Formats: sequence, structure tokens, C-alpha cells
Amino acid sequence: MSEHFATERLPIRSMLDIVTARHAARELCERLGFGKADQTRIATAVSELARNVIQYAGEGQCSIADDSQGTHRCIRVCIEDHGPGIPDLEQALCDGYSTSGGLGAGLPGTRRLVDEFEIQSAPGATRITIALIKRG
Amino acid sequence: MNTAFQRLQREHRAEILTDWLQHLAAAVDRHSPHPPGLDAQRESLFDAVLTTLAERPNAHDFMLDPDSELGRYLNRLVTEQARQLASPSETVGSLLALKQRLARALLALDLSSDAVVESLLWLDRLFDALSLFAFKAFVDIRERLITEQSLSLLELSTPVLKLWHQVLLLPLVGVIDTLRARQVTERLLEAIAEHEARVTILDLTGVPVLDTSVAQHLMKTIDAARLLGTRIVMTGISPEGAQTLTKLGIRFADVVSRATLRAGIAEALLIVERRIAPLNSERQL
Repeated sequence: MSEHFATERLPIRSMLDIVTARHAARELCERLGFGKADQTRIATAVSELARNVIQYAGEGQCSIADDSQGTHRCIRVCIEDHGPGIPDLEQALCDGYSTSGGLGAGLPGTRRLVDEFEIQSAPGATRITIALIKRG
Repeated sequence: MNTAFQRLQREHRAEILTDWLQHLAAAVDRHSPHPPGLDAQRESLFDAVLTTLAERPNAHDFMLDPDSELGRYLNRLVTEQARQLASPSETVGSLLALKQRLARALLALDLSSDAVVESLLWLDRLFDALSLFAFKAFVDIRERLITEQSLSLLELSTPVLKLWHQVLLLPLVGVIDTLRARQVTERLLEAIAEHEARVTILDLTGVPVLDTSVAQHLMKTIDAARLLGTRIVMTGISPEGAQTLTKLGIRFADVVSRATLRAGIAEALLIVERRIAPLNSERQL
């Protein structure tokens, strides 16, 4: 696979954008030849992170890229916002910790859902990158 | 006072109006049926435009007052067109067609060049204001329509069905956000109380993504339903959905769940000690 699918950049401003973003992620995942379980994994992860953006930062953006190399197929999603940031990353990644009365499963759960998970957060700039990789 | 437009109003009103209406009938109404009363509305608007042009001075800071006669007529016409799902360019286009005709008629009058320039500027300014006003009114109306529609969709999309005596079915379809979840819960609780339901089947086949927020809404609904004495049978979670939920670390620990609605119904009937059997089978109970 030498040709890459175009990277999609989507704004995340409302609940509707969450639906659009996870649709786009699911679609690219399918086009890259991932199975249904993987499609559901990425869609759920995007839904989770995008909802965090709406809830904590108000708005942000998301880019969905085909990052395949050689025979490895890879979908990489980057979600960014300029919100207040996550004060205690370590705690936020623990199961059951939530500052908003939620289940506290969003971030740690998302980390378990995907193959790669990277998070940087400071006040004014939070950026989470996730990827699914299929070795072929 | 603008004497040029006063002359137009006095001497050429009928001819410009007819020309404009004919143009609209040919160019705009071709695509959509011509509703009765539209011509009368257009005529009222036409007269209000001419009157404003003739009576007001060339105001540099002209703003269309929505409560003026002109504002009201324009608003009514735009509302009508927006409701008939015409495109906004048609609405604004018909205004611009009128402007063109007025400009042409103005040039045909025998006026000094100063008066022509002055009058054309005023014409321009007025129609800029009209177009902006029409566009804004159009968008406002459409937005209101969309809100109304999504509200009625919300109404439609949460039916609680009585499947059998003391058995309810709640098929969830689409995106479950906070608003929907609250509404679903309310309806379900009312129905449970009303029918004294012993079992409620919660079918999730139509829920596209089960993430933590959806799961949390579901858990709250389930907890509240249980307080009213009903047992919950969840159905329709796909194999992928199940996998994702466990990876997320979400546990519906003590909720009965079945893969398909069919199995769920069988389970629910079992709880109320009923079963579905062929007509000719012997009665055992």
C-alpha cells in the first residue's frame, strides 16, 4: 500500500460533530481493511475523546489520518483542544477517577481500546493521539 | 423626499409592477407552484418599497426597521417562501430583480446627472438593507423549522411498547445524549408504573456507538426502572459492542442480557411465566 488516503480534519464543536468524527474514523478504518471489531474500537475511542473535548474544553478539532507503512496498516487519530487541560494526568488515567461525576472509564478505557495512546496536556493545549495498527 | 422616486411612483407604478411580477412568474415560480395570494403579497411589498424610496431622504445610515410597513411585508413574504422550501437565493434574487427594474426606470426619466447619482445610491442602500434583512429572516425561519423538526423527531423516537401483559419493550434507536436519555427514562418510568411492568426489554440494536457516556445513561435508566420493581433484559449488543464495552471497563454486572431481541423476548416471557408455543401443542399449565 503506497498510496495513502487523505487526512481528514474535522472541527469538534457540538454533539453533532462527535457523530461526524466517529463516522469518519469508522469509515477510514473500514477502507483500510480493518475488521468490524476494530472499526467499533476506533469509533468508540473517538466518541469518547471527542465528548471529553465538548465537556471540558468546549471545542477542539480532530484529524483522522492513514498512517500505513509498508504492509502495516495504521489509522491515527489526533484530537486537540485549547481547554484548561488535565491537571493530574496520572490520576485521569486511573479507572474510576472523574472530575465530572462520570464513570471515570473514558480515558483509561480508551487507552485499553487502542494500540497506541499518547497524551500531552497543559493548560491551553491538550493533545491526544491514538492509533490502531494491523500488521499484515 | 426624493422627487425622482415620487415621479416613478406616480407615473410608472403599474408598468414596473407588471414587468416585475411577470418576470418572477417566468423565472422563479416556474420551479414551484404559484400559491394564491403571492402576487398580492408582492404588490404590497412593491408599494412599500416605492413609498419608502419616495418618502425617505437618502439616509446614509439606513436600517430597515422590522416593525415598519416595509419590514412587515418583507418578513411575511420571506416567511412564506421559506416555508415552501424555496432557496434563499430565489428570495433575494426576486428583490434584486425589482432593484434592476427600478434602476432602469430611473435612468429612463429625464433627470440631471446629480439627481440620478443621488437616487441610484439611495436605491442601492435600500436594497442592500432589504437583501440582508431577507437573508437573515430566511435563515432564522429555517433554523426554527429545523429545531421544531428535531423536537418532533425526539418525540417520535422514544416509544415504550407494551409487548405483553406486564412486559414492556423499549427500542432505542440513534444517538443517546443527555437530553434523549432523560426523556427515555421519564417515559419508561411512567410506562412501568402505569402497566405495573415486571419485565422491561431494553433493545440497543439501533444504538450506533456504546461509549462510557451512553453506558452511564443506560445504567441510570436501569437503576431507576428497577426501583419501580421491573426487571431489565438488555438485548441487541453486537459482538463488537460487547468487546468494546469490556475493554472500556464498563460492567453491566447484574443486568440480564441477550444477544438478540428474540432471545430477550423469550427470557422476558419466562420471567412472567409465559411462553410462545404452536397453536396445536398441548396446554401444560
